[in-house]
Amino acid sequence: MENFIKKFIEEATDLINALEESVLSLEDRPEDKELINEVFRIMHSLKGSGAMFGFDKISDFTHNMENIYDEVRNSEKQITKKLLDITLHSVDHLRNLLNVNIAESKEVVQKHEELNRKIEEFLKSGRTEKQKTDTRINQQTTITSGEQFASYYIFFEPNSDIFDNGANPLYTVDDLYELGECKVFARTEKIPHLGKYDYSTCYIYWEIILQTSLDIYEIEDVFMFVEDDCKLKIQKISDTKIINNKNIIDALSKETKIDISKLKSFVTDIVVDNIVDEEKKVSDKIKKFKQESEITSIRIATEKIDQYINLVSELVSAHASLKLFSTKINNSELNEIAENIGNITEEIRDNAFNISLIPIENTIVRFRRLVRDLSAGFGKNIEFVTEGTDTRIDKTLLQIITEPLMHIIRNCVDHGIEKENERIALGKPPKGKIFLRAYHSGSNVHIEVSDDGKGIDINKVTKKAVERGLINFNVVLSKEDVKNMIFTPGFSTTDKVSDISGRGVGMDILKRKIAEARGDIDIDFEKNKGTKITLKIPITLAMIDGLLVKIGESLYIVQLMAISKITDIFYSELKKTKKNVAVIDGEQIPFYFMREEFEISGEYPEENKFLAIKYKNKNVGLVFDSVVGEYQTVLKSIGKLYKDHEMIAGATILGDGTVALVLDTNKLITKFSDKGQQRIRN
Amino acid sequence: MAKTILIVDDSESIREVVNFTLENAGYNVLIGIDGRDALKFFDGKTIIDLLITDLYMPNMNGIELIKSVRADPNYRRIPILFLTTESQRNKKMQAKHAGATGWIIKPFVPAKLLSALNKVLR
Amino acid sequence: MKEKQTYLTFVLGNEIFAADIRKATNIIEVLPITKVPRSPEYMKGVINVRGIVLPVIDTRMKFGMSPIKITKNTVIINFNIDIEGEQSDVGALVDAPGTVIDISDKDISPPPHIGAKYKSELVIGTFKIKDDFIMLLDINKVFTLDELLEIKI
Repeated sequence: MENFIKKFIEEATDLINALEESVLSLEDRPEDKELINEVFRIMHSLKGSGAMFGFDKISDFTHNMENIYDEVRNSEKQITKKLLDITLHSVDHLRNLLNVNIAESKEVVQKHEELNRKIEEFLKSGRTEKQKTDTRINQQTTITSGEQFASYYIFFEPNSDIFDNGANPLYTVDDLYELGECKVFARTEKIPHLGKYDYSTCYIYWEIILQTSLDIYEIEDVFMFVEDDCKLKIQKISDTKIINNKNIIDALSKETKIDISKLKSFVTDIVVDNIVDEEKKVSDKIKKFKQESEITSIRIATEKIDQYINLVSELVSAHASLKLFSTKINNSELNEIAENIGNITEEIRDNAFNISLIPIENTIVRFRRLVRDLSAGFGKNIEFVTEGTDTRIDKTLLQIITEPLMHIIRNCVDHGIEKENERIALGKPPKGKIFLRAYHSGSNVHIEVSDDGKGIDINKVTKKAVERGLINFNVVLSKEDVKNMIFTPGFSTTDKVSDISGRGVGMDILKRKIAEARGDIDIDFEKNKGTKITLKIPITLAMIDGLLVKIGESLYIVQLMAISKITDIFYSELKKTKKNVAVIDGEQIPFYFMREEFEISGEYPEENKFLAIKYKNKNVGLVFDSVVGEYQTVLKSIGKLYKDHEMIAGATILGDGTVALVLDTNKLITKFSDKGQQRIRN
Repeated sequence: MAKTILIVDDSESIREVVNFTLENAGYNVLIGIDGRDALKFFDGKTIIDLLITDLYMPNMNGIELIKSVRADPNYRRIPILFLTTESQRNKKMQAKHAGATGWIIKPFVPAKLLSALNKVLR
Repeated sequence: MKEKQTYLTFVLGNEIFAADIRKATNIIEVLPITKVPRSPEYMKGVINVRGIVLPVIDTRMKFGMSPIKITKNTVIINFNIDIEGEQSDVGALVDAPGTVIDISDKDISPPPHIGAKYKSELVIGTFKIKDDFIMLLDINKVFTLDELLEIKI
């Protein structure tokens, strides 16, 4: 059962996210029927499965919301700001109810009652006078009928061919027992003598006295599936309990097809006949039928996708071998085939990645919400514009970058965009703008978040840095310096601390977080024009844009994004440097000889390659024998046995079928430098 | 021979619970994720002893599914149960008119599900 | 009632070992091995087996013998083992593959504990076929214990 609940929580989370998105879209398009239907459908779905898996509060709660949106669907209510506010609060609340750790906490319980009250008020508020009266009457009936019983006479005579339709009238009669107390009189006089008995014919009919607290509709429902194949009469004979009325029971025992008035005469309070015109009711209800909105996606287990990706990468490397071979043979026909297969392979690879990735859209809705709520909190007027939200990225990576992105957007709202009056004074449009743009670039996704706010004041940063003793008072900072400084741990330019973290605080943490996704972060700004932060993230952790490098016969891959420059350098010159610090283009760069670090026998060639790697805002050099070329490839795990081997990010299979290791330069340099420090201490 | 039951619901968690219950009770279970997906089983060759379907589903809802199953001479006679909540009287009506045999009220416990099946499976 | 179990034997130096055949998924010829820098010497590196990267271990060194010399008999046995609750593949370099044999449980003697050459926890039992004395290994333990296996002579 636990697994089912886990699955339910996963599913409900998706539904709630979709709900939030629809509600936010409704703000812009309150008349959109599709959206309204979607909200209704989600509420309905949550109600049903919530109850299935013991989330009764979710079920109760969505029940009322479902009713509201049902009225909206039927144009009995309109989408108002108030309704959307309540619904958005409900979205948050549903998330809390789904979280078993807090669902029963005092705050959540309180919130539950408060929201339920609001929802009920809202349900009543929009109604016309007549509807209000109806509600009152309904409520009264419910209250009284909850305690009061009524008694019904039911005449049920199935058509003789009812068995042909797969129905069994006995079960129908059985179902009545679930509604209340019954006295059932099975009338068997039509059953012929054994010789003439036909098993496919129904000879029996029933007369039943049912005493129940439920209303007549519930009784009708029991017969819903046989009513076309039978004669059915349901009549109320009393608003009291009569199941023990001896006169009535005696009368039914003696007489079949008894006259209803006769039965009624046995009870003192006679009520009006209440035969319901079933046909009319049905046709009314059918008119209400609405189409559900379309969703065109399916779930696939992640393992299956991983398997698929694995097969595709095998195909990619198999093709690489083929290409190698065809080049060697140099037969034009073979070359053509190889090229053809190459094109198809490439398409399959792109397609495979496309399947395994999800559009960043899934997260954007949370940002939209964030901007909406925060700007209200700060009394700012901000528009959130997005572009390229269908850009796809690996799910795990999207999860990693979501929090940093939220942080960045918070900063835009809090520190970036000015208050309306300040903006007017600066001659800017009163409404601020946050622009999120996502696009593919090679095997990376770029996500830019820019605002048209105050940007960053270099003078202010300089002043701060002097105050903190980070720089001397006479130093003039360049834009590049400031950019680097922003990512220095603990640096902040905000004057006061608000409840939202200041720009600067945590920018270093952001950078670390982004590095976890093997990505990079960049900032650009202009005073009073705005700030732009760009994240560069690989599309998937399974794929890498790398540079193939060589030491002796060993091949390694270094992630292209980590490299800031590649320089040819003479080994003899490197040997001469003190403390392994080389000067490249005027910049002092500490470096490591990879041959020594990796204990690979043999000597460096005189001419070798110096890769400057971005490491903690500085460059660190790694020296290899040579560079083979750029290499876009699929990253594979090297297995659990190497789990402690952090400097190897994984492996990839080269065209000739051999394995090349992919280096995690960040961890590698950390490891090398740790050892360096130890060496000094020893 | 074990009876074959086709269960159609867009909620994976509900599908799994029903599947688990039915398989444990010894039924063969087929699974459809929505009406359109379920139609693939109605190929005239697959023997289906019972269809259980949700009503609200994307792509093709339960009512439409019931209608198209009933329109297929191979499956005109199979019992069809649908999943519903108490509040859906009009839906029950529609489902019935489309050709359903009966319903199961959500939420349900396994015992209730199995007893509902026994009523329609002979 | 327990039936016969099937085992795969292999040769290391002068010894014959056996492992539960259900743990062995494949026997592979020796392919070019990519060395992983800064790893213990007995971890020879990784190879490509039909698109899967398989770590390869010098089983001789793991048992405290001299490093393996690749000959035309040398093979890699792909074992599927359990590392911290996860199924994982490992390639074991052995001097030569043996055969597949069926052994009844009653023919297996408990491992000798006094004067045993190999850690007794790695050896489930021993049995004899003709004149050969075969040691039955707990292959999971052999490849998950980190330190080199000690040898007492």
